[in-house]
Amino acid sequence: MPSGALLVQSIILGLLLGGLYALLAAGLTLYFGIMRVVMIAHSAFLILAAYLAWWTNSRLGVDPLLSMVVTVPLFFGAGVLLQRGLLSRLRPATLTMMSVLITFAIALIIEGLLGYAFSGTQRRIQLGYGTAGFELFGARVAVVKLIAFALAAVSLAGLYVLMKRTQFGWALRATIQHRDAARLVGIDTERTAGFGFGLGLATAAVGGTALSLDTTIYPSLHWHWIGPLMAIIVVGGLGSVPGAAAAALLLGLAQSLLQIPMGATWAQTVFYVALFATLAVRPQGFFGGRLAQRF
Amino acid sequence: MRSLVRAPWALALGASVTLVLAACGGGGDEGSGESSDDPIVVGISLPLTGDFSEPGKGVQEGYEAWAKITNDKGGLLGRQIELKILDDQSNADRVVADYEQLIGSDQVDLVVGPFSTRLVVPSARVAQEYGMLFVEPAGAAAEVFDQGFKNLFYAAPAVADDHYNHLAEHLLALPAGQKPATVAYAAMDDPFAQGTAYGLKKKLEAGGVKTVVDEVYPPNTTDFGSIAAKIAAAKPDMVVGGSQYQDGVNLIVALQQLNYQPKLAAFSTAPTSPEFAKAIGNKTEGILSPTGYSQDAPYPSNKEFVEKFTAQFGKAPEEDQANGYTTGQVVAAAVQAAGCAEQGACQQKMIDWLHANKVETVVGPLSWDATGKPQGAHMIQQWVGNDIRIVLPADAKETDLVYPKPAW
Repeated sequence: MPSGALLVQSIILGLLLGGLYALLAAGLTLYFGIMRVVMIAHSAFLILAAYLAWWTNSRLGVDPLLSMVVTVPLFFGAGVLLQRGLLSRLRPATLTMMSVLITFAIALIIEGLLGYAFSGTQRRIQLGYGTAGFELFGARVAVVKLIAFALAAVSLAGLYVLMKRTQFGWALRATIQHRDAARLVGIDTERTAGFGFGLGLATAAVGGTALSLDTTIYPSLHWHWIGPLMAIIVVGGLGSVPGAAAAALLLGLAQSLLQIPMGATWAQTVFYVALFATLAVRPQGFFGGRLAQRF
Repeated sequence: MRSLVRAPWALALGASVTLVLAACGGGGDEGSGESSDDPIVVGISLPLTGDFSEPGKGVQEGYEAWAKITNDKGGLLGRQIELKILDDQSNADRVVADYEQLIGSDQVDLVVGPFSTRLVVPSARVAQEYGMLFVEPAGAAAEVFDQGFKNLFYAAPAVADDHYNHLAEHLLALPAGQKPATVAYAAMDDPFAQGTAYGLKKKLEAGGVKTVVDEVYPPNTTDFGSIAAKIAAAKPDMVVGGSQYQDGVNLIVALQQLNYQPKLAAFSTAPTSPEFAKAIGNKTEGILSPTGYSQDAPYPSNKEFVEKFTAQFGKAPEEDQANGYTTGQVVAAAVQAAGCAEQGACQQKMIDWLHANKVETVVGPLSWDATGKPQGAHMIQQWVGNDIRIVLPADAKETDLVYPKPAW
């Protein structure tokens, strides 16, 4: 029987982990919403951002968080280019299928380039506050995990405000909901989709930086992430950012708590059990998104 | 349309060119007359690309250093050593084809092993079929020695289960009040990493030390918060990690984040890596690790190896390089004792000699049981100050074991 302290500790760790999952999955659900694109390379971009953060820290000696000044606009631009130059040229009838293949190729290219540039050696950012923490309800909260959580909260809140309160956000949501109708009311859906894709990739820049604070990174790490992230966006409802966030928090918490009785190996199957359950019982996802119904 | 009509012609042309080329290439390097001036050709397949490329290249450097150092001293039996290295791309099918080519068609005089259990087992089987001696630098898991090989020798001090033997002996010999009472184990689901932790667990449990946490995690685990929470909540005197690299580093950092301060912390592999101290922000104080090789180990040939290796490659040798070099030393001892180096009866002579004798190497004296399992244990190193030093066994130690360890 786990002690109270261990339970509290696990709940806190689970929430912090879930917050990070939410940030990492946000872009993935956006791409699908906007374009029906399954973006296998999302986690490769996360690792790329993590490497850039590590490089910034080890070469320039500044805090890795500062790397976002460069990586966020850079990834936004790369996202727009990727969408306009590559994905928008796919035939709509086979878009979802072909996007898997194309983005798979992109993931392999990024992994190869990372290996070429930084070698396969496993890297970890060295931070003065890497193991610092404080007590909360008898549990310990690590500063780096809290920073990652804060990054997630701020960017997801920003994304939410952007989607709900700005003209671009309305246009983006209209494009997600009904592309033809959006075009009829005068929205340039092509351009909107490009910017939307850029936005998704910009979240990867933030997410990768958050990830790099408390993880050892290596070029092929992204394969470990894509599976759980895909499960999260399906459970949350494809295309729904709040849905993905809710699913991420829930699954992160479940994983952390299940580890107490079941151990690490079985606890991580919670993602796939949730994925199966969702597809069997409620294919459109549990937290929003009506999109998946149409497929 | 035109292109469709042309296609068969292009195909036919391509095919005939290929045939001509194949015919030309056929009659190349056949025949291998043996004479005492010929070099001794050593056939090796190594994972130079793919999953194991990093350690594979390390082992390659070890082999190259061995060939160069031996040749500079006049070679073996007066013959120069020539390495023939193929790349198996970390692929078990490929490694079999490589050794069949090396032994069957290239007629090499000797073969030595590739890297990792997964590749050692299939290649040792090929060597066995051809009756070749097979000394290998990296196949420490139990399954290597369960296959009934009679030609195989693992050129390292100990298999995974025996890595911590010196530490277990030392701890169990402590007076009752000082002996750690409780231990937490966390091991990767991997035969090697798990073997190290469970080897120690078995011995400590037999000595009456209680196990309070026993966690196994899959190799793709990236988040160690929950495992660390479980360990910290149980407050054991000692924590043992059956780790490779990233998992060991992440687990140590996660434990430090929870402010858990054990009296003793032992992790396999990770703490001996040159990147380790940097990765965990120099909070290494007191961490123990078994090691098969140390540049500072006092064995006679080690000094020469470190010096000449550094001159050749511009860096000091690590464990992978030392394993390759040790393999070379073992083979060389067998060649000298048998007085020959060629395929055929000579191979059995060398195998018999190795089963009966002890070989001095850079990792200490090695001897083997009938399955090729080495009979030693690993040295135990500890982070003291900002350096990792040998603390066990007593005859190789550079400094005393610090126990209980200072806070990290």
